[in-house]
Formats: sequence, C-alpha cells, structure tokens
Amino acid sequence: MSAVVRPRARSGLWPALGFTLLALAISLLAYVLAGLGKRGHVPVTVGLYGSIFAVGYLAAWLAIRRLAPGADPALFPTAAVLVGLGFAVIFRLSGGLAAEQATWIALGLAAFCATLFLVRDHRQLDAYTYTIGLAGLVLLLLPIVPGIGREINGARLWVRVGPVGFQPSELGKVLIAVFLASYLAEKRELLRVATRTLGPLRLPPARHLMPVLLAWGASLAILFLQRDLGASLLYFGVFVVMLWVAAGRFAYLAVGGLLFSLGAWLGYRAFEHVQLRVDVWLHALDPDKVFAQGYGQLAQAWFGMATGGLVGTGLGRGSPGLIPFAATDFIFAAIGEELGLLGTAAVLLLYVTLVGKALRTALACPDAFGRLLATGLATTVALQTFVIVGGITRVIPLTGVTLPFVSYGGSSLVSNFVLLALLVRIDAGPAPPDAWRPGRRT
Amino acid sequence: MPPFALSALKYALLALLYLFIYRAVRSVAAGIAPRPSPTAPSGAPAAKRPPRRRPPTTLVVHVPDGSRPRTVRLTGPLEIGRAETCQVRLDDAYASLHHARLQHRDGAWVIEDLGSTNGTYVNDRRIAAPVEVHAGDVVRIGKTVLELRR
Repeated sequence: MSAVVRPRARSGLWPALGFTLLALAISLLAYVLAGLGKRGHVPVTVGLYGSIFAVGYLAAWLAIRRLAPGADPALFPTAAVLVGLGFAVIFRLSGGLAAEQATWIALGLAAFCATLFLVRDHRQLDAYTYTIGLAGLVLLLLPIVPGIGREINGARLWVRVGPVGFQPSELGKVLIAVFLASYLAEKRELLRVATRTLGPLRLPPARHLMPVLLAWGASLAILFLQRDLGASLLYFGVFVVMLWVAAGRFAYLAVGGLLFSLGAWLGYRAFEHVQLRVDVWLHALDPDKVFAQGYGQLAQAWFGMATGGLVGTGLGRGSPGLIPFAATDFIFAAIGEELGLLGTAAVLLLYVTLVGKALRTALACPDAFGRLLATGLATTVALQTFVIVGGITRVIPLTGVTLPFVSYGGSSLVSNFVLLALLVRIDAGPAPPDAWRPGRRT
Repeated sequence: MPPFALSALKYALLALLYLFIYRAVRSVAAGIAPRPSPTAPSGAPAAKRPPRRRPPTTLVVHVPDGSRPRTVRLTGPLEIGRAETCQVRLDDAYASLHHARLQHRDGAWVIEDLGSTNGTYVNDRRIAAPVEVHAGDVVRIGKTVLELRR
C-alpha cells in the first residue's frame, strides 16, 4: 500500500463554501452565456433559475456543514459544476426542457439533503441487506409489469402511473450497490479462499462462484426482457468490480470478463438492434450507410464535435439541435460542439475528480461495508460515464445511458444526487449527534 | 452583444472550469500522497527546526475514521500493535500484531519496528533501525497516525 490517506482537518468550512460558490458561479455564467449566445440578451428566467441554483447549492452546503462536517469540501461542488453545465446546454437546446430540468435539480438537491438527514451513519444501511436488495430488484423489474411499463425507443425502461413517468432502474442501481456492498462485506472471507487452479487463475470453490453466475443471469435477463444494453452492462460491470475488490482475487475479474464476452455475443446473435448498434459503430461515417435508419445519430454527433474544435462555437452559438437526443444521451456531443475539446476534457476531468474522491473515500473508510459501497458507487458513475462517452466517441458500440448529473432526466438526476449523498456520508463518517435530530421538537 | 465579448466570456467560463478542476484535483492529491509536512496540528515539520527537540511526554493516536484522538501518557515502554497485549492497541488492518515498541533509552524516547509487515514511518520515512523521536514528530503505522507531543 503506497497510498496513505491522512486524516483530514475537521475545520474545512471555508474551502467547502469556496468550492460551492465557485460551482455556483460556473453554473450561472454558463447559463447566462447560453442565453446571450442564443437570443442575444440575458435570459428572462435568470431570476427564477438563478435563485433555484443559489438556494439549492447553498442549502446543500449548509446540510453538509451541519450533518456531514468531515466531508471532502469539493465532493458536492464537483457534481454541482456538472449539473450546472448540463443545465446550460439543456437550456440552450430547449426552454421547456430546461424548466423541467430546473424542477428536477431542485428535487434532486432536496433528495440529497434528505438522504444526508435520514442516513446519519452509512452503517445503518448495512442492517437491511435483503430488504434493500429486494427493493432494488423490484425497481429493476417494474417496467416489465404489464399495464404500467412503457417501451420508449426500443427499451422497456419506463413506468407510468397516471401522469408521472419515471425510470425505476435509476434508483434501483443505487439500491443494488448498497445490497452488494452489504452482502459482499459479509461474505468476503469466503470469497477470498482459492482452492483450485485453472491455468494461471486460482479459482475459489464453485459454489462461491454462484453469485457471479446469478448476477450474470440477472444482467442477461435485463438485456433480454427490457432490451436495455447500457443498464445490463452497467450492473454486471459494477457487480464484478465490487466482487473483485471484496475478494481481492483477479480470478473474479477474469471470469467476469469471460462471462461478459459470452453475454455480449449472445446478445449480438439474438437481437437485431444490437447488430445494428455494432454496425453503426463500425460504419458510422460510411457514405453508403450514413443516411440509413439509425446511422445518422453518431455522424451528427461527430460533425457537431468537429465543428466545436478546440474551444467550441460558444454556448448558444452552435447548432447542437441537429444532434438527436442532444439533451439526454448525446449531451456530451452538444458540449463538444459549443465548448470544444477543452470543454469536454473539463467534463471528463470533473468525473475523474469525482471518482477519484469517491475512491479516496473508500480507501479511508474504516469499515468494510463503507469501503465496498463507496467503491461500488464510484464504479457506477465511472462505468456509466465510460459507456456513454465511449459510445459517442466510438470507442465502444453506443448504448443509451444518461451522462450522470449532466443529462436531462429526472429519475437519473434525483438518483445520482442520492448516490452523491451516500458518498458524502461515507466520506464524513457518522453525523454529529446534536445536528438536526429527527423527531426532536424545539 | 458583440461576438468578441461572447468569446471573451466563453474563455472566462473555460478558465473558471479549469480553475475549479485544479483546486479540486489538488485537494484529492493532497489527501492521498504523503506530504513532507504531515498531519501534526502544530503544522511545522519537526525536522526543519533542530533547536526545539524536546522529549515527548504524550502520544496522541489519530484513528483514520475521524473519531476523537486518544491520548496516552508516556511513562514506561509501550508496545503498539493489533494484539490484545499491546499497551496501545490499534484497530487497523494494516498494522501487525506486534508492530512497534516505544521506550525510554539513554535519556531519549526511541521507537523500534518489531519486524512489521507494512513498516513504521517516522515523519514519513520508513525506519530500518530504532530511531529517536522528539516532541512534534509524527509516527505512522498502517493508516493510524501517532503524534508525539510535549
């Protein structure tokens, strides 16, 4: 172990406020700039949205200060900058979407504060291993239920009850990470034992490999029943990484990789839309195919990013409206067009910072459950970012997932804020006993 | 608004973004890499102030979970480690059972590594032989930081 985590000084008030104010300044500047670039004047909604950002960010800062005073000062602000940048791009694309996104940001920040308030010590989640696991599973499978499940863009991901539609799998992924951390922290001693060797790999007993096969089966079920490539990849990836970290055995990563390849091949053989994705990936700019159904998206995204060049056309001054799904899956390309290579590199660096801080939290956490949970949550953000950014830049075939904190979408934003609150909680340790006790009247 | 003003604002936005990243990344790096001046609340590196090398009287144990530091008076020899029999017990996965010994010898306090797996660090240097320690020095064992005070 060369990396050593030093105990942090507890008096980090001003750095945290400084980072929060800087995040607020970036968010507001990006938003005003988007209005200036698009319409030539400061947006008329500046008072409304400006105050949502100001009140929300400062409320979150205050909640961290009171409920999680030991937390990293830049953990929340890093996510806040991503949210602000995403909002500016969404506002630039459509005022209507921006109004919805502002509501979701307010709700997400409220969920962030509520999570910090309710989860006063992350170890209290460790007591409900199977309840949380079951809840997560139900949320994942909810869209399959006939009557309330809806199929949108070829994937069965949505649940609609009356006028309210949401993607339960987004919250499900957080609950599944909590469940896995709790389960694996308990079983890690068993998983660590290796009894047999297979070539260069030392394998644990077969029955301890069962959970891997089970998770693989569940991911395939998601793939086949909901036709959601991105989520399937995400769950399985997070599971394998957490198992690997819990057990400290490379064999799990290798077996996981093999199973993943097998699953990917099965998916490719079984589904036409998977074959199409692979073909688009290989021939995105092929002049013979670019006008065919399904091929234009990536080409538009690439032309958008190429137009942006090094510093971009400036917020509001490009034409990212040509990119399909520019506010959700392809928002990275829209950022590339209007803020250029420097803007997209900044976004990636923000994720590196966020994930780095989360892994540092894992390293410093004294209990196994917290370590695994922080690792799992960090992997969720990292893998999701990789899947969508890799898809847009054609490193891997494109699968539609949201860019965490940046993309338009309520379920995704609120769940990611809950995820962030858990990271802040693990980083800070238990809440001070006198801070805003629930149920105490004054 | 003239285009050059918009461009200037765009560069300002990018500059602010990178300023944020620089500060945030610096705080990550500062959190992980051991720096020459470690956590002692007094702050100043002991090695750079040779005149003030006084014998320590207390040992302050900083546990990485952020709970309140423990204070141990230095009276006789102390054994530090995970074992039940140690005078200073550490609940630290990176510490050995019998990790190090701190004892008074020839008018000075001396720390000695007892053949631990992960080593004992005095002011971020791994020690190979018994080392004299003074007030203000910082000893690191696994993830635990032990601070010597007057």
